[in-house]
Order: sequence, then C-alpha cells, then structure tokens
Amino acid sequence: MSVTDLLTRAEALCKKYEKYDLDKKQDATVYKNDRFMMLYTTLQADLEAAMQKANDASIEKNRAVVATLNAEVRRAKAALKEQIPKLTKYAGKKVKGATKEDLALRPDLVLGLVAKIEDIPDGVVAPRKPVKGKKGKGAAETIKIDAMSPEQVMSGSQNQSSEESSSFAQEADRRKAKQDESLEVISEGLTTLGNMAQDINEEMDKQTTLVDEIDSKVDKAATEMKSTNVRLKETLVRLRSSRNIMVDIVCLIVIMSIAAALYKFVNLPPTFKHFSMNLIFRL
Amino acid sequence: MCGCFVSTLDEFSSGRSRGGGGGMADRQEQKLKDAEKWLKKADKLTKLSFTRWAADWSEATPLYEQAGLVYKTAKLFEKGKHCFEKAAIGQERLSSQWTAAKHLETAGGLAKELEAWPEVADLYKRASEMYMFCGKPQPAADALVRGAKAIEDSVPDDAIRMYLDSCSFLEDDGREQMAFDTYRAATNLYIKQQRYADAASMLLRWGQAADKCKAIQSQCKAYVSAILVYLYNQDLKAAEQCHNDCSQVDAFLNSEQNQLAEKVLQAYRDSDGDEVMYVIKSSKTLPHLDHMIVRLAKQLPVGGLKPVIGPSNDDLDENDLT
Repeated sequence: MSVTDLLTRAEALCKKYEKYDLDKKQDATVYKNDRFMMLYTTLQADLEAAMQKANDASIEKNRAVVATLNAEVRRAKAALKEQIPKLTKYAGKKVKGATKEDLALRPDLVLGLVAKIEDIPDGVVAPRKPVKGKKGKGAAETIKIDAMSPEQVMSGSQNQSSEESSSFAQEADRRKAKQDESLEVISEGLTTLGNMAQDINEEMDKQTTLVDEIDSKVDKAATEMKSTNVRLKETLVRLRSSRNIMVDIVCLIVIMSIAAALYKFVNLPPTFKHFSMNLIFRL
Repeated sequence: MCGCFVSTLDEFSSGRSRGGGGGMADRQEQKLKDAEKWLKKADKLTKLSFTRWAADWSEATPLYEQAGLVYKTAKLFEKGKHCFEKAAIGQERLSSQWTAAKHLETAGGLAKELEAWPEVADLYKRASEMYMFCGKPQPAADALVRGAKAIEDSVPDDAIRMYLDSCSFLEDDGREQMAFDTYRAATNLYIKQQRYADAASMLLRWGQAADKCKAIQSQCKAYVSAILVYLYNQDLKAAEQCHNDCSQVDAFLNSEQNQLAEKVLQAYRDSDGDEVMYVIKSSKTLPHLDHMIVRLAKQLPVGGLKPVIGPSNDDLDENDLT
C-alpha cells in the first residue's frame, strides 16, 4: 500500500466520522443564533492577526519587509473599520438567550473594539531623509554648451548692440534652442535604453540560476550515458563470445548424433563381418 | 444467420465504396472507434467486480492515455477530460506523480474548453499538489498560475487565491524571481476588480521579493506603482505613509522612481491639480511602468484635491522649552 493510498483512506475515514469531532462541533454550534457574537469573535480574531503583524513589523530589520507588513496592517484596519457599522446594527437587535445586562453591554463592547483597532500601530512617520541629488519641480534643466551665458556675452565688451551683432546673437540663440531640443530627444532615447538594459540585466540574473541548474543536470546525464555505453559494449562482447561457444557446442552435438546414427545403422545387419570383408576386398 | 451475413456484406461493400472519397474522415472515425474500444477495455480492467478483486492499472493507464489523446484531437472535450482524469489516477497508483500531474493539467485545459470552472480550478490545484509531492515547487507554482489564468475572467476570487498560493510556494522556496510575473498578474486582476488597496499591498509584496533578490529596478518600479495606486484610490495618507516606508530603503531613495513619487506627492500636498498632471505627463520613468499603472496614473488627480492638513511640526515650537 503506497503513501497516497494511506492518505486517501485516512481522509475518507476522517470524513466519515466528522460528526464525532467535538472541537469542530463546538465551533459550529456556539453562537449559532447570535449574529452579533459571531461577527464579534471573527473581528476579534482579525484584530489579533493585525496586532501580530504590527508587532512583527516593529521588530523586523529589513525595511522592505517592514513596508509590506505596514501596508497589510493598514489594509486590515480599513477592512475592520468597514465592519464596525454592521456590528453596531447587530448590537442594537434583541437576541433570545442573552441576558438584559449582556444586551446593555454590547454597545460598549463595540466601542472597545473600535478603540483597539485605532490602537494598532501602522507605520511610524519617521523623519524622512532629504532627497540627495537632483531636485527641481517642473522646469527642465537648461543645457549649457558654452561656458558663458548669452547675457554675459552681450554685456561684455560690445556695449552697443549693432544690427549684425544682435542678429548674430539671435541666430546663436535659435541654434542653441535647436540643440536643446535634439539633446532632449537623445536623452529620452537614452533613458529608454537605460531602462531596457536594466530590465534585461534582471532577466539575465534570473536566467543565470536556471542555466546553472541545467548545466549540472546535463553533466550528470552525460556521465551516466558514458558509463551506460561502456557497460553495453562489455555486455555485447561477452554475448558474442558466449554465442561462439554455444555454436561450437551445438555443432559438436550434431556431429555426435550423426555418428551415433551411423553407428546404429552400421551395426544393424547381422553379417557385419561379411559386409566389412566385402568392403575391404572391393577396395 | 443468413440475415447477419447479408448485413456484414452490406457494410463491407459500403465501406469499399466510401473509401475513395472521404479517406481522412474515415481514418478519424476509425480512430474514434479505436478510442471507444480502448476506453471500454480500460474501464473493464479497472472496475472491481466479483471476478476481479484488484484493478489492473498498469494495463489500463496507457489505454486511457491513448484514448484521451484521440478525443483531445477530435475536440470531444468531455470524454477526453474523463480519460485523462482516469489516466492520472492510474499513474498515481503506479507511483508516478509527475506524469499524473501532467495528465491532470491536460484535463484541466480540456475542462476550460467546457467552461466547467469549478472543475478547472480543482484539476489544476490537484496537479499542483502532485508536483509539490514530487518535491518540485516551481512546476507546482506554474500549474497554479496556468489554472488561475484560465479562470480569471469567470471566477476572479479563486484565481486570486491561486495566484497568492503560487507566490507563497515560490517565496518559501526562495525563488522569488520567478514570482514576478505572478505578482504582476495578481496586481492587474486586483486593479480590474477595483480592489486598489489589495493591489497596492501586492505591489509592496513584489517590492519585498525584488529586494530579496537584489532586483533594484523592479523594486523601485513596484514601490512607485504602489504610491500611484494609493493616490488613485484617493488615499493620500496611505500614499504618504507608503512613501515614508519605502524611503527607508536606500535603493529606492536614490532612484529616479523616487523622484517621480516625490514630485507627485509634493504636487498633491500643494493641492495643485495642474502640477500633478504636468509631472505625470513629463515624467520619463512613468512610461516604463506596467501599462495598467500608467493608465491609472494618466487619470490622476482623481476626485477633488482636498487641502492637506500640514504636518504636525507646529507642536514642537522652538520657544516651547518644556
């Protein structure tokens, strides 16, 4: 009987005798009629889970894990908060089996639950490190080709702006603007290339592990093939040699049987001597 | 007796006359007949009765497989699925869980054509369990992903659960890099279902996995996508908190994606809708994010920009020496 058979049989048996499982029955029958208590217990369980996650987040060192856990805690809190109105609605309803004091206490239970939900820490607003490197809001950076700006050139030696120099300055500005545009286009292309290259890099990292695995498996397969080939060769050689021996033996047996048959045939006539003598004289 | 003789003669002659024209159809009919025969034989071999006390799976399984293949090519999905399921049970009894899992996957594919969605999910889940039994979590995760893709349009909740299970398999095995595609698919499904908070937390989980395998690019992209999803959900507070958390990670802090996030959040803090749109339009890193995220980002700012309550730094007044 294999393990899978054992497992299937065990499952079938469990299913058959489910009705005797006390733990399961207890969970099912308790608070059957009381929807408030059912919802309350589920919310409490969810609250415990969220609290646990928050605790894990506080002791976790890896920032990425912390971020994920905090996000999940926030989500759980939001989901719990959504359920609170339903809970308050149930708290107001009358339920048979619960005493008057219980019913009076229910709104307080709801409020206590709300307070507990608010208490769960969901990510401390830590002082943010200032962003290093480029800042800037909106305006693109100007690309300076020359060391001097146009204003410096203009307010330099030539204080009188003659027609030629002003048109020359305008032409220079126009050309600079065109260069700026082309440089923008180039920079966009480079950004795309850079992004694509980084994605390719990540893909390559992924594939490296896979290729290494394939490499080792293929090596193993190759050595096995080699040893199998050698064994096959040996077996064939042995087979052929043993077949030669068998052929020899078979031939021997055939010859001996023919000899025995001849011997019988020769011995049968009574006048053996007469026969042999005739043969000798004839010769 | 004479009658049956005549009838067989009729069949023979009609077969001969048809032979010239529909040769291919004949072959297919012949194949189908063979498949019927194999199926019946295999059923007989496996059904327990008074004379047979143990099912002969080693004989029956190849018959089921052959019959299943024929039905699959003939597009008779119901029978094909049945054959492959039986073949899978046979292979399991022969302790060959790998082949059994493969047959279950084929059966799942056929069930998808039949649009029997609960069965599809069930078959793919069983296949993945078998793969795990063989000690191969990668194919198990792949099987779950395939199953989830098959049912994501009709039963999205089950599909989500399968995606999450697949991710946890790979995470447990330490091979999160293979899980990136799964995270992406799950995020897209959440966004389609408009469960934005779940989508954002899935993106953060993706970021965490990327952090583990040092895939900085994917990590930064995931974080900035999460912030954008929170903003689309009109949850500025969550977006800010998320940004705070993510800024603790050095790799994200110095990245271009972080700059985009800073700019957008600053624009939101200033309640400047035009600035938000300008930042989104002129950003060079945005087009490289996942297309669903880009679609959401292009629709920012969603809803009215409420003036944000300033940070509570006013509590710590310089002159307050207490």
